[in-house]
Amino acid sequence: MFRAFPTLLRIGLAEAVAYRAELVIWVLTATAPLISMFIWDRVAEEGPLGGWGQGEMARYFLLALIVRHITSAWVVWELNENIRTGSLSPMLLRPMHPLVFFVAQNLSAMPLRAVILAPLIVGVLWWRPELLWTPEPWTIALGLVSAVFAWAIAFAAQVIFGSLAFFSQQSLGLFNVYFGLWSLGSGYLFPLELAPDWLRQVLLWLPFRATLATPVELLAGLVAWEDALGLVAAQVVWAVVFVGLAAMTWNLGVKRHEAVGA
Amino acid sequence: MIQVTALNKVYTVPKRGEGLWGSLRSIFSREVEEVRAVADLSFSIEAGERVGFLGPNGAGKTTTLKMLAGLLVPSSGERVVAGFDPSKRDPAFLRRITLVMGQKQQLLWDLPPIETFALNRALFGLEEAQAKRTQDELIQLLELEPLLNRPVRNLSLGERMKCELAAALLHRPDVLFLDEPTIGLDVRAQVAVRRFIAEWNERSGATVLLTSHYMADIAALCPRVIVIAGGALRYDGPLKDLAERYGGGRKVVVRTREEAPETLGPFVREDGALVARLPSAEVAAAVDFALRQVAVADLSIEEPPLEDVLSKLFAERT
Repeated sequence: MFRAFPTLLRIGLAEAVAYRAELVIWVLTATAPLISMFIWDRVAEEGPLGGWGQGEMARYFLLALIVRHITSAWVVWELNENIRTGSLSPMLLRPMHPLVFFVAQNLSAMPLRAVILAPLIVGVLWWRPELLWTPEPWTIALGLVSAVFAWAIAFAAQVIFGSLAFFSQQSLGLFNVYFGLWSLGSGYLFPLELAPDWLRQVLLWLPFRATLATPVELLAGLVAWEDALGLVAAQVVWAVVFVGLAAMTWNLGVKRHEAVGA
Repeated sequence: MIQVTALNKVYTVPKRGEGLWGSLRSIFSREVEEVRAVADLSFSIEAGERVGFLGPNGAGKTTTLKMLAGLLVPSSGERVVAGFDPSKRDPAFLRRITLVMGQKQQLLWDLPPIETFALNRALFGLEEAQAKRTQDELIQLLELEPLLNRPVRNLSLGERMKCELAAALLHRPDVLFLDEPTIGLDVRAQVAVRRFIAEWNERSGATVLLTSHYMADIAALCPRVIVIAGGALRYDGPLKDLAERYGGGRKVVVRTREEAPETLGPFVREDGALVARLPSAEVAAAVDFALRQVAVADLSIEEPPLEDVLSKLFAERT
């Protein structure tokens, strides 16, 4: 499997290049943090909000944009289509797990995403040069580890909803509901620090924060060392839960596929 | 190489009434019915054989192929392919088989076929030098050279099918399950695919189980056929015997220099010619008889069209 991975990544990148127009649109549709940045920037002009000034606000959303892209996955659409059209069958007859193939496919588009995203980041830094900060090494290291877990949770969540296509025509609809909740609860539209206290408490017990706000806050240096480990530990727990659920949904789905065909 | 014993597959299909009322009722009471796609099917195929798997639409051919490839689990019965239980989809098993489905493609749509070949070499963990040799052999046999660097979406259906076959054979499987490999192809492409399958079977010694609605495929490729209808076995044996048993024999047509009599031995007059339908064993004697009795202007011996033979067989007992 490991021997095949470089080829999978190379072909995944070639596919991403072939779909570059689509990818540009995808990247641009996921720029909500930029819009949020402009809105919250205006709000913070009046004075700090919840202790956050314009600088913190802009830095948060710039990092939210970056983390959103380095942790993004689209396996839910791939799975849905492959299951519905029967194209999953040839994949099941290769001596490599189809999900390994999808992992490589999702990871391999990262360099191209970075190229598309780079001008946006440069533009924001040109607009707000004070955003360039010197983070402490541990926040970068832990932030990156946290981003890996965030990606694992996001990918597993998409595998869960994608695998529901084995059972239902409505799997993408269900994923959209999940995505709506995720947008509200992950820190994608607003920093969770600024949410009312009761909502913050609720969100602490939900998985959404672990997929975005945790790495963003860590990278932005907004979390103290002692809290940081707790947040990453929560990510590990959610990753285990989501990967477990993804494996279960996938296996049950394939069993059904074997029983009723494509 | 392939051993199938009392194989059964029953699907549970939801039943829905007609119109709005039917749709609403199906929400609250979900009625289902059982459809038997494959019924007590048994056969065995030796290594290196080329076998045609025939039957009308919905006969259970694709279901059977999917069960043999490990994509579907049978409701009951046994099947062993290349010494493996296909259900487990053991990587060692997957390296020994391939399933080509005419309408479900594995080629990467927006990339040139050469990329799918590279992907399959990696996915099957093939030894690079050997895989390249096989790839070159397939490229040469299927005349793929001009297609290798064009995106798959820009290839014609026939070109895509040839690339599909190459991608499916890179790992040199011992067993080929080919489900309608010539569907939708023009006559030239059909001939090319057919010629390739025969040649590959001879070169590699691979076992081929092939379904097709084009009888020319079967006639050209398969000395043996298995016919199923309604999921059950109708015939398993040599193709030539099938025509003999169900085709009403060979048709001997004798055109005479003068007006033909109404009847002559086994012959009767049809459209001005003397016509007899006879088992193969009696053809020579009948021809000899005709040559001695009348002045023959033209003589032909026709095999019954395979389509007619099969229609007769499908209609029987279904």
